[in-house]
Amino acid sequence: MAEARSRLLTDAAATPSPAVAIPREATAAALLAALAAVLPFLLGWLSVAPNRLVSPRPVALPMAAAALPLGLFLLCCLGVALLARRRALLPWAEAVAGLALLALLATLGLGAGAALEGASRLARVAPGAGVWFSALALLLAGGCCAAGRGRMADATPTRFLAVALPGLALLVASGLLDPLSLLKEAAQRGPELRLALLRHAVLAAGALTLAAAVAVPLSLLALRRPRLEAALMTLANGLQVVPSIALFGLLMAPLAGLAAMWPPLRAAGIGGIGAAPAVIGIAAYLLLPLAAGMLAGLRQAPPELIDAARGQGMNERAILRHLRVPLGLGAMLGGLRVAAVQAVGLATLAALVGAGGLGAIVFQGIGQLAADLILLGVLPVVALSLCVDALLAAAQRLLMPPGTRA
Amino acid sequence: MIRFDAVTKRYGPRAAVDAVSLEVRARRICVLLGESGSGKSTLMRMVNRLVEPDSGRIMLDGRDIAGVPPEALRHGIGYVIQSVGLFPHWRVAQNVATVPRLLGWEDARVAARVDALLDLVGLPPDRFRDRLPHELSGGQAQRVGLARALAADPPVLLMDEPFSALDPGIRRELQGALRDIHAGTDKTILFVTHDVEEALLLADELAVMQDGRLIAHGRPGEVLARDAGPAVRHLFGEQTLAFHRLGTLPAAGAARPGEAAAAPLLPEGATLKQALMLMLEHGTDQLAMPGGGALHLSDILAAA
Amino acid sequence: MRLSRRAAGVLAQALAFLLALWAAPHLGWLWGGLFPEVQRPVWDQRNWFALLGSHLLLSLGAAAVAAVLGLAGGILATRQSGRRLRPLLDALFSLAQAVPPIAVIALALPALGFGAAPTLLALVLYACLPVLRGAVAGLDGVPPGVLDAARGIGMGPWRGLTQIEMPLALPVVLSSLRLAVVLSIATAAVGAMAGAECLGTPIVVGLANNNGAYVLQGGLFTAWLALLADRALALLLPARR
Repeated sequence: MAEARSRLLTDAAATPSPAVAIPREATAAALLAALAAVLPFLLGWLSVAPNRLVSPRPVALPMAAAALPLGLFLLCCLGVALLARRRALLPWAEAVAGLALLALLATLGLGAGAALEGASRLARVAPGAGVWFSALALLLAGGCCAAGRGRMADATPTRFLAVALPGLALLVASGLLDPLSLLKEAAQRGPELRLALLRHAVLAAGALTLAAAVAVPLSLLALRRPRLEAALMTLANGLQVVPSIALFGLLMAPLAGLAAMWPPLRAAGIGGIGAAPAVIGIAAYLLLPLAAGMLAGLRQAPPELIDAARGQGMNERAILRHLRVPLGLGAMLGGLRVAAVQAVGLATLAALVGAGGLGAIVFQGIGQLAADLILLGVLPVVALSLCVDALLAAAQRLLMPPGTRA
Repeated sequence: MIRFDAVTKRYGPRAAVDAVSLEVRARRICVLLGESGSGKSTLMRMVNRLVEPDSGRIMLDGRDIAGVPPEALRHGIGYVIQSVGLFPHWRVAQNVATVPRLLGWEDARVAARVDALLDLVGLPPDRFRDRLPHELSGGQAQRVGLARALAADPPVLLMDEPFSALDPGIRRELQGALRDIHAGTDKTILFVTHDVEEALLLADELAVMQDGRLIAHGRPGEVLARDAGPAVRHLFGEQTLAFHRLGTLPAAGAARPGEAAAAPLLPEGATLKQALMLMLEHGTDQLAMPGGGALHLSDILAAA
Repeated sequence: MRLSRRAAGVLAQALAFLLALWAAPHLGWLWGGLFPEVQRPVWDQRNWFALLGSHLLLSLGAAAVAAVLGLAGGILATRQSGRRLRPLLDALFSLAQAVPPIAVIALALPALGFGAAPTLLALVLYACLPVLRGAVAGLDGVPPGVLDAARGIGMGPWRGLTQIEMPLALPVVLSSLRLAVVLSIATAAVGAMAGAECLGTPIVVGLANNNGAYVLQGGLFTAWLALLADRALALLLPARR
């Protein structure tokens, strides 16, 4: 073990100066891979509690039980550091980082199973701090490798997630991770969790749709009306400083009043409690990224290009269709991406106004200070955010017209 | 072909173009020369209504352009600018075909026209048709810009400092190409520049602007005559005005009859400036004219 | 002259804010009028000034830590020797953008316990990002010609940084600091859910007890404070135009 560690560390330290075509990303990727390999051993693989009421203690990893995935894990870490030394191989390094995460989890699952053997049925085993930090380091290593690929200072680890997420689903389905207390908790709350996830996605998507329906036409109008633009941006910026939890709460009263005054609204499910204040509240915060992205995108085509187009006799509609939209697509999608990720995050707070979603599980967990329950709510939120971010980043790359990427 | 009648454009209290009247005759290259801020670009941009005049009238081929919808007007006027303004996400062929497509031409006609134009501007269609603008050099890009402006065969071309951003060698190549294309196509060209050499090289007519006003207009030789006003002298340079003037005068007009034995032969159609240069180069004060006749240094001094 | 007038304006707004904070417990008729169904519309569980103090301590403390970390990181990442850190920073940015603050607070809860600590952690993390980004953008934006000239007249790296780069990058850095402070004031309210005492406390208590008046008072003062900080910090920035 120490051997692998020192090899990785010297590997990182001995990276020569940029005369050879070693990408800039190599150092950071190697450093993170080394950290990922070392941290579980330093900070602990597993923590075991005899029952739910006693606080957990770190325990050693039963090496024999998990030798195969452990070896694979260390090999993958080494692979990340080595592959990152060639620019052309960076995408592979990113994918291998995803593989390392899966091997880490497999090690954890097998180790947890072994640690529980002979223990009482009430005993609970959770990943140690080292495993969490190792997973974080791997995620960042994937990001570093992705940073080398993109030209837009964009380090979304799309490939990492493309390997890790389906793999994670397989690992869970195979039952390898079942000994972990988190999975036990998830099994108990299966239907509740699925419903919360679905509801969370619907809330976020609904808010995004609502915000886009407001921001897109307003941005198009504001493009050539400076006063409308100033008003729109002042509003969008001003909303950002209102604490989200307060805004959700404050929307409850007027919506309840509206529903009381106009019963058809209530019949449509709009009222003071539930989805309506949450969706409207989330949408309010999305106005800024959406409108700013739209306006920046619409202005992406430089003025002399617009001048040339007008000189050729293009009308405003043709300029919008042929120039502003295709050239600004990247910036617009960037705004959409920020907004979508924020929507997923903010939807967590929707539970405060009775709208459900994964936040409900998180707040239950906070209420009981139950780490597993908190994780059960937070991890899907993080995964959903990362997925949305990575998907839209990929779309951004694909849809950029040729000739505008440089 | 293009007539400006007392055209004025104000930005705030300042008149960018101040009561300019000017007539550009058909099939000529008229160069608008002036320093930056003199109003020459503004004047030009009023022709295709990218700028609307505050007062005055602009007639194009006998019609007041104020009555023509801007888009339709622009389809009939080629437009070339310094930054070229090729659409970066479109290939060369698409860029050249911009106006024909706006006009709804059939695909086959558009494709044939694109190839013919690329040939005309000296870019082999096979090699350049499918390139993206960022794959072109500055000179090549401006050639494509010229092809795009010519695409729908407009009778009038507006060119706003089209070669100013190019290296000197490439600039001279394109100036030559423009002269050749003009000779072959009979376009009326309004050409804006601040470069004195370029103006004299291209101009059939020269219009000099300063502070929004037209201060001189006529054939280059007339504008540079000995009685030129102080503003023109300043623009062309006090010391070099006479030299520039030599460049506007044909050597044939100053030659005397007789033979100049053993003297260097002046090429056909040369200007007095070229004649002087040849004398300096050979260290002689006499030149032989093509087709008989001689040119002495004193003839040049008399003509200047 | 113009600056002092703007400063006086901000001072007047700050006084108005403090006055409103003092008056809030005495405005029962207002809160009651807005929320007639609420039985106890006046927040009196904790002194407003105490909440303001802890809110400022929490958010400004986080912003200060974030400023130091962000500036140091930004300077490091723009040095020749630190360029290899850039991919790591890019990766951190992308990750932090994808993980909401509430998730960080919730994740830190089991480890750090209830109270200010998890909130402080999340605030520092999120306030770091704009400062880091601003520092990197500002220092990257210094024209290479200027740096070349500085080296050419014999300035060492330290003098180049302190006398040329930092002054030139200052406007961008300052506006990122402003953003960091404003965001951390606005976000600190979420910390009330983890038990951190701040202006968000009335919001959380109000949400739990279905007391809209508490929510309104907490939300109002938090947003007001953030806007006030935004105005005040604008004084530091050179006036545009």
